[in-house]
Amino acid sequence: MEDHSTASHDAGHGVSEAHPKNAGQTKRQMYLTVFLILGFLTFLELFVPPVYGAEFSSTTKMLLLCILAITKAGLVAAYFMHLNHEAKWTRWIAYSPIYMGGAVILIMLESLYR
Amino acid sequence: MSTVHAATDSHGDHSDLVAEDPHFGKATGGKIAMWMFIAQDGMSFGGLLFAYGILRATAAEWPIPAEVLGINLTAFATFLLICSSLTMVFAVLAAEERNQKNLVKYLGLTILGGIGFLGIQVYEYMHLVHIGVGFVESSFQGEPINSLFGTTFYAVTGFHGLHVLSGVIYLICIFKGALQGKYTQGGTTSSPVELVGLFWHFVDLVWILVFTFIYLL
Repeated sequence: MEDHSTASHDAGHGVSEAHPKNAGQTKRQMYLTVFLILGFLTFLELFVPPVYGAEFSSTTKMLLLCILAITKAGLVAAYFMHLNHEAKWTRWIAYSPIYMGGAVILIMLESLYR
Repeated sequence: MSTVHAATDSHGDHSDLVAEDPHFGKATGGKIAMWMFIAQDGMSFGGLLFAYGILRATAAEWPIPAEVLGINLTAFATFLLICSSLTMVFAVLAAEERNQKNLVKYLGLTILGGIGFLGIQVYEYMHLVHIGVGFVESSFQGEPINSLFGTTFYAVTGFHGLHVLSGVIYLICIFKGALQGKYTQGGTTSSPVELVGLFWHFVDLVWILVFTFIYLL
C-alpha cells in the first residue's frame, strides 16, 4: 500500500500550507510573471507577419510563429491550468491531442512518400 | 492501492476531503472528466486546424491573411483573453482562500473579458462581410480570392467563438453561485470554480494557436 502524504503533495506544488497567505502571494506573483511573458510574446508575434515589414523567409516566419505559439500555449497549460502539478495520468489525458496530432502527421507523411 | 487522505484547509475545516489516488493524485472525478472533455475538444480543434493547413497548402492561391483580416484588433482581443485568463486564475485562488469579495470581483472581470472578446469578434465579422469576405464567396479590394479562405476562417473562428460564448454562460452560472457564497463558505468546495477555470484557460490556449495559424502565418 502506498502512502501519499500531504507534505509530499505540497512539495510538488511548491507551497506550504503552514503559510497560506505567503503561498497565495507567491502564486499571485507567479501568475503575474506568466501573464507579462504572455503579453510580451503576443507583442513580439505582431512583428513577424509581412504587414509590419519584417523581411523573413516563409520558413523562418513559420518556425518563429510556431515556436512563439507553442511557448505561449505551454505556459497557459503549465501554470494557469496547473498541468505541471497534476499527477501522471491526468497529464497523459491532457497530452492525448498531441499524440493524436503526431499520429496524423506520420500518416500524412507516409502517404506523401508512398 | 489508494489511500484516503484527509487534507485540512487553511481555515481548519475539512471541506476538501479527498481520496488521493496513486495515478490521479488529488484530482477529483469532476476534474478528470473536465480534462477528458478538454482533450477531446482539443482534438476537434486539431482536426479543424489540420484541415485548414491541408486546404491552404494544396490551394493554387491563398491571400496573405494578415493583409485581408488585419491583426491589430485581433491582437488586442488576444491580449484581452490573456487578461481574462489572469483574472480567472486569481478567481480560483480567491475561492481556495475562501475570499468571496475577490472571487466575485475576479469572476466578474473574467466575464467582462469574455464579453469584450465576443464583441470584437462580432465587429470583425461585420467588417469582413462588408469588405467582401463571405462564408461561401470572398473578394478583397474588388478582386475575387479563394473562397476557402473565408469558409475556413469562419468555420475555425466561429467554432472557437461558440466556445467563448459557452464559457461566458458557464462563468455566469458560477458567478451566480459565488454571489450566494456557494464556494467560499465553510463546508463548501471551491472545485466548480477550478473546473470553469480549466475550461476558460483551454479556450484561451486554443485561441493562441488559432490566432497564429489563421491570422499570422
